[in-house]
Amino acid sequence: MTQATVVTGHDLALCIPDLRSRKKESALAEMVTAARELGVVAHSELLLDLLRHRERLGNTGLGKGIAIPQARSSTVLIPRVIVARSPRGIDWGAADEAPVTLTMLVLAPAEWSDDAYFGLIARTASATRLQRNRQKLMDAQSLDAFGAAWREAAS
Amino acid sequence: MKVDAPALERATAAKATSASGTESRGPLAAMVLLSDLDSLIHEAQDDRARARLRKLGFALDGLPRLLTARQRLAETADRRWVQVYERVRQRYGRGLAAVRERVCSGCFVTLPTTARPRLGSQALQICESCGRLLYWT
Repeated sequence: MTQATVVTGHDLALCIPDLRSRKKESALAEMVTAARELGVVAHSELLLDLLRHRERLGNTGLGKGIAIPQARSSTVLIPRVIVARSPRGIDWGAADEAPVTLTMLVLAPAEWSDDAYFGLIARTASATRLQRNRQKLMDAQSLDAFGAAWREAAS
Repeated sequence: MKVDAPALERATAAKATSASGTESRGPLAAMVLLSDLDSLIHEAQDDRARARLRKLGFALDGLPRLLTARQRLAETADRRWVQVYERVRQRYGRGLAAVRERVCSGCFVTLPTTARPRLGSQALQICESCGRLLYWT
């Protein structure tokens, strides 16, 4: 049994500094389970199904070790970004074939407008665009440091 | 929170290899997924949304796969509810609305306390105001 700690690290973010899963499917499941535990999602299986469909539409791996899976769903109760780190990397099938070390799962309720939803995705993407921000997230030694690094990157 | 990663991987792999499985979870689950899938398809078909996602670096080349999955789901779901859903979707754009704090998120009408289904019930309901299928969260 491994342990993953989940805390609130940012206004809209939940942080998982040590994702255990090595595969994309199970990494998504781990993040959705965390979201379910924290009352962000009503039905985790439905959300997971939708995330699988999103991956079929197009890989959400952006390269440079970053993936931003996203879902706008009726099962999402409150908008959240689940920020997860996998030091060993996840085989995400990104275009550059690099293993994904930072995953930001963007979740929004179905009734969110396009502008609000895409705006949240864009803000999340821009937070990890700079190499120094990615490095700070990877170097954070504790949960608090990881949360602080994300807060700084997202501000 | 404890997470058993190997067990999680086994469970998700088994679920991914099985057929959709949504229909076996009940009509409500199928209709919720259908609604979410339609929203995703809309994103992939809408020029402005496509442009925004492409600008961020997302690939969107799997639309045919998504349309096939949508068709399959609509065929396996209860036909009566699919017809209701499609009719309302054509009128309002969305055929299903989540109920937040007893309010229909489609038309914002407060629903009566007696309208709430029993816990765990898979029964589908229709909003008496707008006609959308209701998903109580």
